[in-house]
Amino acid sequence: MQLELQNIKKSYGEGGSRIEVLKDISLEAKKGEFVVLLGPSGSGKSTLLNIIGGIDNADSGKIIIRGKSMSDMNEKALTSYRREHLGYIFQMYNLIPNLTVRENIEVGAYLSKNPLDIDELIEVLGLKEHQNKIPSKLSGGQQQRCAIGRAIVKNPDILLCDEPTGALDYNTSKEILALIEEVNQKYGNTVIMVTHNDAIKNMADFVVKLRDGVIRKSYRNEEKQKAAELDW
Amino acid sequence: MRNPLNKRLPRELLGDIGKYIVIFLLLLLSIGFVSGFLVAGESMIKAYNESFEKYSIEDGNFRTEDRLKDTQKERIENGKVPVKIYENFYVEKEFDNNTTLRIFANREEVDRACVMEGELPSNSKEIAIDRMYADNNGLNVGDTLTSEGTEYKITALVALSDYSALFYNNNDMMFDASAFGVAVVTKEQFSEYAERDLRYNYAWIYDKKPLDDIEEKEMSDDLMELIAKKAELENFVPGFLNQSITFTGEDLGSDKAMVEVLLYIMIIIIAFVFGITINNTIHKEACVIGTLRASGYTKSELIRHYMAMPLIVTVIAAALGNIMGYTFFKDVCVSMYYNSYSLPTYVTVWSAEAFLKTTLVPFAIMVIVTYLILRRKLRISPLKLIRRDLSGGRQKDAIRLNNKIRFFDRFRLRILIQNKSSYIILFMGLLFANMLLFFGMMLPPLIIHYQGIVTQSMLAKHTYLIEIPAGVVDTDDELSAAFSYVFLQSKITSNNPDAEKFSAYGLKTIGDDGARVEDVTLYGIKEDSRYINVKFDDKTVLISSAYADKYGLKKDDVITLKEPYEDKYYGFKVTGVYDYDGGIVVFMSQKHLNELMGFDEEMFSGYFSDSEITDIDTKYIGTTIDEESLTRVTRQLMISMGDLMYMVDAFSVILFVVLIYLLSKLIIERNVQSISMVKILGYRKKEIALLYILPTAIVVVGSLLLSYPILSYVMVEIFRVMLKQMMSGWMVIWLDPSVYVKMFLMGFITYVVVAIIEYRKIGKIPMSEALKNVE
Repeated sequence: MQLELQNIKKSYGEGGSRIEVLKDISLEAKKGEFVVLLGPSGSGKSTLLNIIGGIDNADSGKIIIRGKSMSDMNEKALTSYRREHLGYIFQMYNLIPNLTVRENIEVGAYLSKNPLDIDELIEVLGLKEHQNKIPSKLSGGQQQRCAIGRAIVKNPDILLCDEPTGALDYNTSKEILALIEEVNQKYGNTVIMVTHNDAIKNMADFVVKLRDGVIRKSYRNEEKQKAAELDW
Repeated sequence: MRNPLNKRLPRELLGDIGKYIVIFLLLLLSIGFVSGFLVAGESMIKAYNESFEKYSIEDGNFRTEDRLKDTQKERIENGKVPVKIYENFYVEKEFDNNTTLRIFANREEVDRACVMEGELPSNSKEIAIDRMYADNNGLNVGDTLTSEGTEYKITALVALSDYSALFYNNNDMMFDASAFGVAVVTKEQFSEYAERDLRYNYAWIYDKKPLDDIEEKEMSDDLMELIAKKAELENFVPGFLNQSITFTGEDLGSDKAMVEVLLYIMIIIIAFVFGITINNTIHKEACVIGTLRASGYTKSELIRHYMAMPLIVTVIAAALGNIMGYTFFKDVCVSMYYNSYSLPTYVTVWSAEAFLKTTLVPFAIMVIVTYLILRRKLRISPLKLIRRDLSGGRQKDAIRLNNKIRFFDRFRLRILIQNKSSYIILFMGLLFANMLLFFGMMLPPLIIHYQGIVTQSMLAKHTYLIEIPAGVVDTDDELSAAFSYVFLQSKITSNNPDAEKFSAYGLKTIGDDGARVEDVTLYGIKEDSRYINVKFDDKTVLISSAYADKYGLKKDDVITLKEPYEDKYYGFKVTGVYDYDGGIVVFMSQKHLNELMGFDEEMFSGYFSDSEITDIDTKYIGTTIDEESLTRVTRQLMISMGDLMYMVDAFSVILFVVLIYLLSKLIIERNVQSISMVKILGYRKKEIALLYILPTAIVVVGSLLLSYPILSYVMVEIFRVMLKQMMSGWMVIWLDPSVYVKMFLMGFITYVVVAIIEYRKIGKIPMSEALKNVE
């Protein structure tokens, strides 16, 4: 199993203002699976993603990645874990403003002993013409492509996507989803995507619906839709 | 693969060029100026110390009434203290430019001249004059000087090794290098001077050099005794007491205390600036840092990345600062020394001290401060960084503000509260900047004020110290001693009704706690004195207010003083403080002092008088203290410290402006997102300025006003420590009120200029800023 979550609990605040964000979450994802964490605002999906990404801590429970428990890792080990196994894509891209598209992708490549070929990746991302531009000269969609490039170039085992289409229009969102789908198929990474867009569940192998910190429903799609076929 | 983040560095430099220029200038100027000063100081001290051997500076000189015969010379040379004697005759000529030159025949064996420009005279009617005297009187090589109808052509500007300080008389309190100078002519020219004009001055050099001052004192006493027996002595000055030779050495490097204080202030400021800039960078880059951390970049990789640019700027500034320190700034400081002293040529020396203090220390501080702040900030989780939540702690509830306060004022108050950490930094920064300004601006009025004080608080309008020429009292047998004593009494008694006798004795402080050893004059005052209005009994020991202020002494404290050049100590219990700021002085009754020192009851050392004493031959008067002589002291102090003070002044002003610019800029930068948001809401530029610039202006004004009482206290203590190291005597510390006004105006005007720049910047902040990463 690529990823196992066992009884994950997380709460914020103290005393009366204490809010339980995740209440006993357990799930499993296989290698190469496209997982969608679906839910409305405040359902705890981003918190869960951040815990998987090692940038937030669970109060209790276990996260096992490729047979290794994250709970036993100190900060240094967590950093190496992220460095070696994870790629992150954020809603707001978070590109480095004074580096070009190509250089932003190199920032990801630098972390890997065995990165993907940058030229080929830029081609796949459709950014060849823009590779020497700085992020502020690009559209939102192009910036998100660049952010995907940065995350994927180190060929991570797991690609974490936090509302990657949240700031994009319909067409661009579909393009980005198609790109992530392509990456998933081409490079075989496990993708875990957080979204509140219900339509996206149709392109997933495994769908986890969250509400108020609990899994309301989880299922594997028998028949997936292509990203290009999605509509909302 | 090379770290791709490195590619950001040149862009980061260009993108934030204003900030880096400020840091660069700050480092360049402080490293350049301070190392220039220290290098110049060390080079000059080396040149001065080496000049003793290089130019064969005498071990002492004496003047006789008549030329010594060969036999007399031989006997002196082969006496108890073997010496070699050199003729060192001179004449003194008044010149048409109202100055006096002491002219020597060019000396080749002892006290040789250092030629600074031109060539030594080779013909009659040619003269080489002291370089400093020439500078002060606007004279150059090729010009002519006229005395008694004789025109001299100036062929060279020189530094005479035995006149690095141009004292006319060794008893003078200070020299005046405008009115008096020294010069050399050819032997032929010198031989043309009339016999009656010649002063028979001789220099001596010991065959075996004394090991210390005490031995030198014993040797010179023996020598004086011998010479007085063999010839009519007019003057006797052993080298260690010759102010023309020793004054420069003692004074060189005393300014160092001032520059070191400046350096310490600078180091604090540099550390502070590095601290706030790196902190600001982290705020600005929080998202990027969070993302990189989330992607797997390690803390140390990021620390290295964010340290790189300040490190590069520091290294470049340090390298250039040192180059400027050894060239431009050194030249400026050297010319400052040449303005004060007639020093020989010098060779620039490498100063390890300067390198350590100006380069290694600031560099180390930069590395440590930047590293610690980065390490602390990078402890914040990547998630918080991405969300730009750098507070670390828990969010507190908003402070309740009364709804009766106008909305705009409440908004402004919220901005003040929200930015309180930035405003605390602004206050601290202004405090440091003002400290620098205070330091630069308070010194000149302090000295000018001191000039006023010393002339106002004179003990009497004229104070004369009698000097009995060596050899006048014949001690060979009691009869001749008694005879010469009676003869002397008639010579040194004044009939001026204003004249009041006093005793005086010079002792030295013992220099405990690392303070410098300095002269203390003990005055023995006669009963019912007209000039010192105190009832003395046998136990009264009053110290001058300047003495009390300098050493923090009060009634019932005990002071220990030492006989110069002897191992003899005196302890006094202070019974009170006498209001006199003109010097480090102890007052007691004449009887008390005479008894203490084993003098005859009738013995006296000089006169206080409110009118000039004219009935004593000047040859019996050693030192005269009057308005003119005291003014000369402060004037010389202004000349020797003046250039440095004004340089410090200019330097402080530049850094002050730079610092205020940097701090105000930071406030606006921290609020870019909020400003962008209120723009989206439809606020006009002017309204935004009222919201974001006005609170800063209020904080600036408040900080400036608050910093003055704090600094007045701190700087008085700093000045006290500094002046204690710098000077003999004491300058009562006085802070000129008008400087506060000037400082405030300067601070305010600088801020207004910065605010205008910031106002323009507000217009350029894009509205899209507000849309970035707000969760």
